[in-house]
Amino acid sequence: MAAPARALLSDLPKGHEFPPATLTLTPEAVLRYLDAVEDGNAIYLERGLAPPLCAAASALGALLELLELPAGTLHTGQEVDVRGGVQIGAQLTLTGRIAQRSERAGMVICALEFALTPAGSRAPALAGRTTVLAPAGVAT
Amino acid sequence: MTAPVVKQLSPAQVRRYADASGDHNPIHVDEEFARGTPFGGTIAHGMLVLASISELMAATCGEAWLTGGRLRVRFRAPCRTSDAITASAQPQTDRDGMRVYAVEVRNQEGELLISGTAEAPAGG
Repeated sequence: MAAPARALLSDLPKGHEFPPATLTLTPEAVLRYLDAVEDGNAIYLERGLAPPLCAAASALGALLELLELPAGTLHTGQEVDVRGGVQIGAQLTLTGRIAQRSERAGMVICALEFALTPAGSRAPALAGRTTVLAPAGVAT
Repeated sequence: MTAPVVKQLSPAQVRRYADASGDHNPIHVDEEFARGTPFGGTIAHGMLVLASISELMAATCGEAWLTGGRLRVRFRAPCRTSDAITASAQPQTDRDGMRVYAVEVRNQEGELLISGTAEAPAGG
């Protein structure tokens, strides 16, 4: 059976919620990230805490698996709030929603909010808001 | 003022970041595709460039950044995959128990790529 078509980000309405997903930032994934960004600080592995942007990028990566970004989409803003920190190796629940959507002059401004919550907790360890500018009605 | 973080990006590093993040958008990794876009060539992931600010904050604030950091930025201009970038942070007035920094990333020509604020719990 063919995989279901992914939703086009610019077509999703404000308030749209993505189905919760589970993800784990494994030590290997964190090491791959640190190698890619060339951050040699030992503090992450010493304290067992993921770099905040590693956690945020992983959350965005998981959400992008559910989304198509129109060709020409620009990442225009990023917010990250760490609320206790993301433990390396911990199982996390990812939630996300379209928090803002407005359209002007053929462009859609879309804000995607996400949170990573450790299993067994109700309080997110990290939350973020990503703002993108995407052409309206354009496929990838 | 904290010591800036200086990085020389490369297309190979951008490909490594694409693999690590799962974001293989051709604007970042496909030079032929990117040449046909308004950018005229590949650009680095915004989150890769932004990582230089997080690296700087982790070096400056330590665990407080990893457990209570806040970042709010705007991407002002695209970063080429071979740009040299400099991330810097200027301390501002503390607010609500948070140490506040004005942060930015510029390229080798001094062009502003990212600007915003970063905060970490004071005394952390």
